[in-house]
Amino acid sequence: MDVIQGGVLHTVFLIVRREFLTRARSRFFIIGTILLMALMAGYVVVQAVFISKAVTTVNVGFTGSAQALAQPLSQAARSATLKVDTSTWPSVDDGLRQVRSGKLDALVSGDPGAPDVAVMNDLNPTVTATLDALVKQVVLTRALSTAGVQPGPIESKVLGAGINLQVLDPNAKVRTEREVVGVFVAILLYVALLMYGQIVAAGVVEEKANRIIEILLSTVRPRQLLFGKVIGIGLLGVVQLVLVGTVAVIAVLKTGVVSVPSIEVVSALGGLLWFALGFVFFALIFAAGGSMVSRQEDLGSVTAPISMLLVGTYLAYFWVVSNPTNPAAIAVSLLPPFAPVLMPARMATGDAAAWQVGVAIVLMLAAIVGTNWLAARIYVNSVLRVGTRVRWSQAWRGAD
Amino acid sequence: MRRGRILGAVTATGLELHGVSKSYGSLVAVRGLDMAVRPGEVYGFVGSNGAGKTTTMRIVLGTLFADHGAVLWDGAPIRFEVRRRIGYMPEERGLYPKMRVGEQLVYLAQLHGATEAAASSAVDRWLTKFGLKDRARDEVQKLSHGNQQRVQLAAALAFEPLMLVLDEPFAGLDPEAVDSMSVVLHDQAEAGIPVLFSSHQLELVERICDRVGIIQKGRLIAGGTIDELRSHGPRQLWVDAPAAPHGWTDALVGARQVRVDGSRVLLELDPGADDQAILRAAMATGPVREFGRNLPSLLDIFREAMTESAAAAAS
Repeated sequence: MDVIQGGVLHTVFLIVRREFLTRARSRFFIIGTILLMALMAGYVVVQAVFISKAVTTVNVGFTGSAQALAQPLSQAARSATLKVDTSTWPSVDDGLRQVRSGKLDALVSGDPGAPDVAVMNDLNPTVTATLDALVKQVVLTRALSTAGVQPGPIESKVLGAGINLQVLDPNAKVRTEREVVGVFVAILLYVALLMYGQIVAAGVVEEKANRIIEILLSTVRPRQLLFGKVIGIGLLGVVQLVLVGTVAVIAVLKTGVVSVPSIEVVSALGGLLWFALGFVFFALIFAAGGSMVSRQEDLGSVTAPISMLLVGTYLAYFWVVSNPTNPAAIAVSLLPPFAPVLMPARMATGDAAAWQVGVAIVLMLAAIVGTNWLAARIYVNSVLRVGTRVRWSQAWRGAD
Repeated sequence: MRRGRILGAVTATGLELHGVSKSYGSLVAVRGLDMAVRPGEVYGFVGSNGAGKTTTMRIVLGTLFADHGAVLWDGAPIRFEVRRRIGYMPEERGLYPKMRVGEQLVYLAQLHGATEAAASSAVDRWLTKFGLKDRARDEVQKLSHGNQQRVQLAAALAFEPLMLVLDEPFAGLDPEAVDSMSVVLHDQAEAGIPVLFSSHQLELVERICDRVGIIQKGRLIAGGTIDELRSHGPRQLWVDAPAAPHGWTDALVGARQVRVDGSRVLLELDPGADDQAILRAAMATGPVREFGRNLPSLLDIFREAMTESAAAAAS
């Protein structure tokens, strides 16, 4: 009969397609995704602005013979976080006017060996100290000349003297960046798992509440319906994460917020993998919970404990990330249900060794197999029971 | 082509239930139920609330498992491939309220095994037939109650079902919708599909059904064609002899007067009693304006069966 088709896979495909398309076309999803993408781009841009704000610019005006100090000052005081802009002014009065109006932070005038420095209330300490040192050098050079000593060799000796800076962790800056990315990945995964898990639970209850479940289960096996729903909604989550993640990566590359862009790519891919694993795990539990009630109003009572579990994994992140070498913290990050939030975050911070990722994935897959068995059993036993909340004993045994 | 298997001398086609029982804890919902719905037949399932109609239908569809007994299709235990092609209308109607009518019907038909092309053309056909073609792109929740019912029926039809199982399909329908629904059921039966439906509305069942099963407390207490059920009870005659003296029926042999309606009397005949003797006795009193069989309505049969079964349970 050519009008009839339908293996198990085709049925699941039909369900996946419906679950995905009806939601992907909804205004809620489209507007939500655009909003998330805008938020993400905005967040990265704000970060970029903060980082550029971190460079302090000090405007110093010079007048008269004090101009001799201008070039040495701007060179000596410049660093990663400080920039000195120098300017010259025809008279002291002109310069002071600029200081009062706020255009200049300081006006240096008079003899370079004893200059007057006018400021509104205070001056950047690095600029003050550098200026101070320059003046002392001028005085020293003059004194040496007066004493008939050639200042050259002594000056070079003095300039050569200094502290030996020992850098213990050259990656500290990268580490901070990675931690920012790690927190971000943890938050994103936690929110995505919570949100999409709730969508699955609501979808299960929807079918019970409007009784279409009876028609569906007269033609589809409960497991097909369960898996179709979980996969369809999961794909929706993947699409949303990919869209938002792409915006994040592009924004990061354009603004240069993160100095090593490969961190971003690894984090994004790790995040996706762990979303998939974590989603299947939590979605099955959420679906089982949803199948036990018949009205959306009752959904909270069964999903609250599951949500708490997710909140717990998120809170655990802060303990784990601040103790990257603590064996207990590492162990927790390997275990379901914590791994889906902790592992991608630890991958982003670069704390997770390859073997740890491997072990966590294997454990997670094992947990999914177990959850699948348990959740499908609860779902099958509960989903046709309309009315009051299904008791655990009923959900477990299926008997009345 | 219908696969039939010879059971004894009869070719068993369509749906059969043999000794089906189902309990919920201590509550027995269905006990030892035997029934059959043949191809081309409209079978009406009658009973009070909680009698076990819905439970029986769910067992047929496989959304509930029977504790005992067997459900057969064409003589063999019913398989999932057959069950998924039963058109079902649950008593609690259910559709996705926010999904579009056409899209939803095509989806459901595909779940029942129809190809996308076959589903689309069938949905188109049924929506046209129900006058809902221009509503195909509307969300189900935007339709009136009656139109939602029509969509629900279309959901049971749009995949060329092997059988129809309709739980209270007439509940909440206006008379016009009742008529179009009955026409659809008859057309389906004529196309060779067994149609099983339940209803509280006995006069409707009487009008539409080829065969009726009366279920009470999970037991089928009467079953057969309306005529068979009628012939089951005692023979009754309405006699109108306006000139007859009061109490003229007392002298009759093998007949008792059970009701009086003006000059008309209702007589209940003993088995084997001669109705011609009664006619002669009536004519002896004067003119006879009416003399005829009293055909009990399905409601009478239903009441009778309930009383009998209650009496049997008491003894």
